[in-house]
Amino acid sequence: MKLNEVRQNIDLIDSKILKLLNDRMEQGLLAKRFKEQIEDSAREQEVLEQVNNNPNALIESEFSESIYKLIFAFSKKLQARELCLTGFQGEHGAYSEEAVRHYNREYVTIPCTTFNEVFEGVNSGLYDFGIVPVENTLGGNVGPVNELLINTDLRIIGAIDMPVHHSLLTAPGTDYREIREVYSHSQALSQCRCFLSRNNLTPIPYYDTAGAAKMLAETKPRGAACIASKLAAELYNLEVIKERVEDLGSNRTRFLLLAKSNQECESSKCSIVFTTEHKAGALFGVLRLFAEAGINLTRIESIPNEPGDYSYFIDFDGSNKEQVVLDTLDKVEKQTTGLKILGFYDEKKVEG
Amino acid sequence: MGNLKLVQLAENGKRTKIKVGSVMIGEGLVIVGGPCGVESEKQTLKTAEAVKTGGGMMFRGGAFKPRTSPYDFQGLGLEGLKLLARARENTGLPIVTEVIDPRDVSWVCEFADILQIGARNMQNFSLLREVGKTGKPVLLKRGMYSTLKEWLNCAEYILAEGNPNVILCERGIRTFETYTRNTLDLSMVPAVKELTHLPIFIDPSHGTGKLSLIEKMSLAAVAAGADGLLLEVHCNPSEAKSDADQQLTPDQFAALVKKITKLSRFMDEKLFKTSIITGGDQI
Ligand SMILES: [Mn+2]
Repeated sequence: MKLNEVRQNIDLIDSKILKLLNDRMEQGLLAKRFKEQIEDSAREQEVLEQVNNNPNALIESEFSESIYKLIFAFSKKLQARELCLTGFQGEHGAYSEEAVRHYNREYVTIPCTTFNEVFEGVNSGLYDFGIVPVENTLGGNVGPVNELLINTDLRIIGAIDMPVHHSLLTAPGTDYREIREVYSHSQALSQCRCFLSRNNLTPIPYYDTAGAAKMLAETKPRGAACIASKLAAELYNLEVIKERVEDLGSNRTRFLLLAKSNQECESSKCSIVFTTEHKAGALFGVLRLFAEAGINLTRIESIPNEPGDYSYFIDFDGSNKEQVVLDTLDKVEKQTTGLKILGFYDEKKVEG
Repeated sequence: MGNLKLVQLAENGKRTKIKVGSVMIGEGLVIVGGPCGVESEKQTLKTAEAVKTGGGMMFRGGAFKPRTSPYDFQGLGLEGLKLLARARENTGLPIVTEVIDPRDVSWVCEFADILQIGARNMQNFSLLREVGKTGKPVLLKRGMYSTLKEWLNCAEYILAEGNPNVILCERGIRTFETYTRNTLDLSMVPAVKELTHLPIFIDPSHGTGKLSLIEKMSLAAVAAGADGLLLEVHCNPSEAKSDADQQLTPDQFAALVKKITKLSRFMDEKLFKTSIITGGDQI
């Protein structure tokens, strides 16, 4: 082993330590949601005892205790800041997290395993907001999210339409000529199909883009790379072999920001979901109302509830301050079974 | 000339044109400038800006350097390719860069607009086949010990793989002359034009290896009807890690481009477009 190899190991460990510290701070913020007050000295004592009894040979209790006192102090400082927590599906470095940053840099992003966990977390008050992708220019609609939207009581309070740029990443020190397999979410892999085949690379589906980046950093499989965001490269200390490996220049994803209740804000868009009676022209009757009112539809999507029975999503340009919009929605309600207004909100379009 | 069925000039006299970015090769003079090697971020981006301001239409630079000695600077490899892509992002100039290893071909394609096959690799047939499969434009330099026939056969290899986008480039051959680094064989320009439909560039930098000779030989190349010039330019030639004696400063490059462009416009007149004496050996 050479000095530079030892140093590579040290860099990797440091990036893990920081990552874990960040995770710990997140858990502190979540714990705050269950506590009346920030201070809890009994719990601090409990943690210190565990830490002092650690079996790691080089970590003396004097050292660990001083570190943990710093951790407690900083965690409490963060808890006092009343930060807005936003749940997203995936690991840190996911595109949903990037979307949150475009919406509001101050929001703290908390990773969730499933979309359902995001919805549940917002519903229970664990998170202030949730962010979910609904549709992509290449991959189409995100099925599981649309299914959750049909049944949710949450409200859409914002949307972000964002370009998605994929990068090919490897663990530091990997020779690009040795890359054979590329791990990523199946949707990301399908968006880079031509790039992969041009370079004779085998796509390997993984549960999440950023998750693949994390796995690569931790287990360093031979001859492997992943496709993820540049943010993931920074977070997991990976090397960017090539940026923008997506096949289409215009690869965009639309994300929705969810909250438990409506927010008083300027709106320019509205999303609704409804079902109709099983009779001829039922859907047409609804669409005609929008056409007659001169309202521009921006999205229409049908999701099967059971064979032959559909929920319809419609997004349109309009504000809850416009009387024609409110009148039209009244008429729509009479023509449909189970109309739900998912929200009036503003959509942010990110260029590039 | 042997079996050159794909590269030889057809009866109708139609010549190959290759569109690279906004540049059309085979239609007016194309000036390619840039350092011998990609050495650092600063050197690359600065030189690229200078090439752009000086009137260059494409940017060149080596990320993989086939050097005489294994101990000489071998290039930055992938890092170099990334820097070239950044240079293109900044200037909009298409990138010409050399590929020396068949395993690198697909990766160089990801970053470059034109693949260069260097003089030392002209007859590296597995490399020729590999670039032939890509469809990317290939700048095929003449080997320093190669005859025209051998050179054209190498182009035939690339076309035979299905890639019609070949640009030939004369960069000087070995003779008994020692004053110049190589002997720039400008007779290749009309020779290539009467035998093939492919565009031909001239590299006076390697062709002479001497700064003082580059201007005159560039003008002579344009007068001979070359489709393009490949010129080595470095933002600070005295500090170059390779070919320090033949790289132009940005000012020299800009002045040269001005002069060449004037001659090129003059040569565009009808009088110079057609040859007075025709004939000679056919393929
Ligand atoms: Mn050189």
